[in-house]
Amino acid sequence: MSDVLLLVPEIVLVAAALGLLLVARRLERARAAATLVVLTAGAAMAAGFAWPSPEAGFGGILAGDGYARFFDVLFLATLATSTLLSIRHVDSDRVRPGEFYALLLLAATGMLLAASAMDLIVLYLSLELMTLCSYVLVGITREKKASIEGAVKYFLLGSFASAILLYGIALTYGITGATGFTSIASGATENTGNPLLLSGVVLVVLGLAFKIAAVPFHAWAPDAYQGASAPVAAFLASGSKAAGLAALVRVCMVGFAPEHGLWSNVLIALAAMSILLGSLVALSQTNMKRLLAYSSISHAGYALLGLIAGTPDGASATMMYSFVYAFMTLGAFGIVIALDRRGENLSDYHGLARTNPGAAALMFLFLLSLTGIPPTAGFAAKFAVILSVVGQGHVGLAVLAVLCSVISAFFYLRIAVYMYMTDPEGEAPGRFPSTVSAALLVAALVTIIGGVLPDTLAAWTVPP
Amino acid sequence: MAEYLGILVFFALAGTVAGGFVVLSSIFGPKKPSKVKSEPFETGMPTFGIQTGHLTIKFYLTAILFILFDVELVFLYPWAVVFRELGAWGLTGMSIFLGILMVGFFYAWDNGALDWK
Repeated sequence: MSDVLLLVPEIVLVAAALGLLLVARRLERARAAATLVVLTAGAAMAAGFAWPSPEAGFGGILAGDGYARFFDVLFLATLATSTLLSIRHVDSDRVRPGEFYALLLLAATGMLLAASAMDLIVLYLSLELMTLCSYVLVGITREKKASIEGAVKYFLLGSFASAILLYGIALTYGITGATGFTSIASGATENTGNPLLLSGVVLVVLGLAFKIAAVPFHAWAPDAYQGASAPVAAFLASGSKAAGLAALVRVCMVGFAPEHGLWSNVLIALAAMSILLGSLVALSQTNMKRLLAYSSISHAGYALLGLIAGTPDGASATMMYSFVYAFMTLGAFGIVIALDRRGENLSDYHGLARTNPGAAALMFLFLLSLTGIPPTAGFAAKFAVILSVVGQGHVGLAVLAVLCSVISAFFYLRIAVYMYMTDPEGEAPGRFPSTVSAALLVAALVTIIGGVLPDTLAAWTVPP
Repeated sequence: MAEYLGILVFFALAGTVAGGFVVLSSIFGPKKPSKVKSEPFETGMPTFGIQTGHLTIKFYLTAILFILFDVELVFLYPWAVVFRELGAWGLTGMSIFLGILMVGFFYAWDNGALDWK
């Protein structure tokens, strides 16, 4: 019975989602539904801390440890922030708010479960819950062709990745006879070097690499982000990526711990390719959402750097990175959303500092953080992951990461140059809705606090 | 290998029965071919013009609703077998599960998925 206490945040989210579905036909405006979602996210977060939750429950398939709580906070904050950002878009795109917010809530439920899963089957189901909702969210603006195209590409590649993940789970189960992470670890120790087990480990890691859009499983991200409405893209870039990382860190650190040598090599390849390709391709982008998509691909690579070490400190660095990245990308997407139709192309940012100095200053902060320049949170996070890679002796990888940071500075700061050093074109953007401003403020606060006082944030990153 | 003999017999029997019915019905069955019957894709609805791959969305909705109840049954049968051992806790769990499914069904109904206009 006490096991249920573990699930209270998820139950709260699902109850709200079902309630929204019941009244979906009668909901006209986004504001009421969005208020419910923000309150629900707050209630779920409070529920996570209201009582000391058991460390594990339901026969050990779900964990309630500090690791899960950390990601719960991240996902619920992402949910609330994306909701605040989405209100105007939901109304102007004529999306039905009941369905939109129900899908958002259910996707967040999947994320929460993915972070506490201690069993491959539970992990698979929770990630499916998240991605199935995401496919629909990307394609929910049905009148736009790009939206449908992005959703179909996302769906096809996502199903393919799910199959890879399932195949890996099947092979792992076949060799170790278990789906629980701790049993897999003991089964793997007895079968070290078994080629089928090695294939299982590699396939599971690759299947999860799709969720975080690491190269070579990144092809869906630019089209899905560009096709989706900007709030959905922000939610995917921050929440979905963090969920994939949460799952990957726990699977690798707990379940596949005996095979560290193998998966760390796979991760090195994935990280190097993601960082390099993400930074280089972003150079030629002219659409802001595509640019942020390639940026998210390279950041997936940076986040993986921490996990390569396989140490608790490295895992903490990755957790910190996913937290910080979620907020700085929410902030950057937030500016795109705030500028509405005038934020999609890079040329829209010409002279923004003159027409809207507040937005330009905030965008500059998020760009600095995405580049990794002190005193922003992006610097502290990047420093921690690169430090952990150097600690493992992968100096070449660290040099590549730093070099690509320099390359990325070119395209991030080019936007800053547009904003501050060119003349405005076209009409000035209108006033931001207060909800968008509130969300931007939250993102900016995390970006600054994470940079000035990185230790306060790092204290919460409990490795699995 | 001896334990697989039963499966082999099963396959042989299944093949014989299925094949037997096809052969018997093609010999003894009445044959009244008509235009609708000899179409490769038969839905029971008369088809208009050339099929270019477009189907009405209603078939999709019906199929989705079928899955809703299909999934329900898949879980209800094993639950019914161990109903007594699971007791009140099992009943609560199943009620919640059915409740969630029914919200989905209500949503489809509410939004006109059942109106075959």
